[in-house]
Amino acid sequence: MNRRGFLQLLGATGAAALMSSCNRVNSVVGTLSSPTNLIRFPEKTEMIFLTDRPPQLETPIHYFRQDLTPNEAFFVRWHLEGLPTSVDLRTFRLNVSGHIRQPLQLSVDELGSQFEPVSIIAVNQCSGNSRSFFEPRVPGGQWKDGAVGNAKWTGVPLKSILDRAQVRSGAVDVSFNGLDAPPLPSVSDFVKALSIDHARDGEVMIAYAMNDQPLPMVNGFPLRLVVPGWYGTYWVKALSDVTVLPHAFSNFWTDKAYRIPNGPNGTESPKDLAKDTVPINRFNVRSIFVRPDPDEILHPGMPTEIEGIAFDSGYGIRRVEVSTDGGATWADARLDSEIGKYSWRRWRAAWTPRSRGQYRLMARATNVVGDTQSKEQWNRSGFMWNVIQQVDAKVG
Amino acid sequence: MSPKTKSVVLSLGLAALVSGCGHPSNISKEADHGIANAKMESMLDLEADSPVHTIVMPHDEPVFPPGPGRDEFVTACVVCHSPRYITMQPRFSRTTWLGEVNKMKDVYGAHISDEQVLRITDYLVSINGKAGTGHAPKGAYGE
Repeated sequence: MNRRGFLQLLGATGAAALMSSCNRVNSVVGTLSSPTNLIRFPEKTEMIFLTDRPPQLETPIHYFRQDLTPNEAFFVRWHLEGLPTSVDLRTFRLNVSGHIRQPLQLSVDELGSQFEPVSIIAVNQCSGNSRSFFEPRVPGGQWKDGAVGNAKWTGVPLKSILDRAQVRSGAVDVSFNGLDAPPLPSVSDFVKALSIDHARDGEVMIAYAMNDQPLPMVNGFPLRLVVPGWYGTYWVKALSDVTVLPHAFSNFWTDKAYRIPNGPNGTESPKDLAKDTVPINRFNVRSIFVRPDPDEILHPGMPTEIEGIAFDSGYGIRRVEVSTDGGATWADARLDSEIGKYSWRRWRAAWTPRSRGQYRLMARATNVVGDTQSKEQWNRSGFMWNVIQQVDAKVG
Repeated sequence: MSPKTKSVVLSLGLAALVSGCGHPSNISKEADHGIANAKMESMLDLEADSPVHTIVMPHDEPVFPPGPGRDEFVTACVVCHSPRYITMQPRFSRTTWLGEVNKMKDVYGAHISDEQVLRITDYLVSINGKAGTGHAPKGAYGE
């Protein structure tokens, strides 16, 4: 991207900035959990409304019929009420400091003009996506399957920035802080970290564009950390501070929060909680139906196409099997061509239901290292859901 | 947040609570539509090249039924988060709700006494509770 193109990209934010004098809505307790409860945030389309402050907005599934999730429909999840609502690009700087020789303060314009831009198509998924399906239910954001999205991210490899900052020997971790701030001094600021080797792997990047547009404010404008194959908790939004550390990073959000049982697929029993836990990390493998639509009525003898998406943490999807009889028999779905190792991959299966009635559809993805989806899963935080999805199709 | 980034305006809770948007009505018709229709009153930023990017967040104000503990709930909880953080949850047992309220006090530092913890728990159970002892998650954070 040349400098002019980059400035045009940034200039587009002005026109996109939606202003509003008073966005108050009222609702009544008891009607809130309606699945049709939608809300529109600035720069966003109508999204499934979980919470407003801080916002948690879920993508309606039909958007996953597109390979790239539109920015306006991409899911939103913030931890702290004090999220940025205004950023001045004249004064905003990405600060790189800590165990380095050359501290940096880079404007977004400098990131775009002084570094070779790279792009990657990658899935971002909330750790708690699909939490509402765990049984027994667990507290937290009650997502269905829409706290995930796939986008083309453009920006600068974190390695390039760290190289310019000249990391000193003995670096252990790199921490990432955004512009969001806690509502009380007792609440830990939301800061996450990666190991120095992960931070310098050449794939982790600082993105200033999402699907060739500036990021919506609630998706992390102006900069967002992109950690391909890892859960969204690491994808720090409105990234402002990168700190290289000569010791292991430690804070509430790493030591206490976002931890999973240290066992297969992060699973434990409600009656016997795991004592050994580790920070959540790479995506497990899963698939999600995007067709038929839940409200669609199919017809006997009429050919239809079942469709879905499947992804993992970057090994690659090898196979997706589909059942239309509740798991009694399975057949391979056709895989669309791969559009990136960290992208999701679309699959399709032709199906002609023979007679009227209700059919239980299931889909099971397997990746190239043999990981597949589970039949049962539970953990106390409601993370990493990848139980084989079941969808009821109506034929009438 | 870095102290160097003074250009950033934060939407802090108290500011939102005292914003001049008038008072919430007691009866919501919008909720009947199933669509929380934020009155956007939007306008495009006329300065397309503006380096300042600003949004105004909508906020939802659920109308909560009266009951013991309601005042403590409204005062102590919504300082940091929307009450939708409660109403989006499934019905939980008293054990689970008590665990959640204690987590807010002990882990996140909510300014509430032990007495208020119990009154808030009573209220949450009354509006979104279920019978039984249920499951009390221990060490579940960041969800």
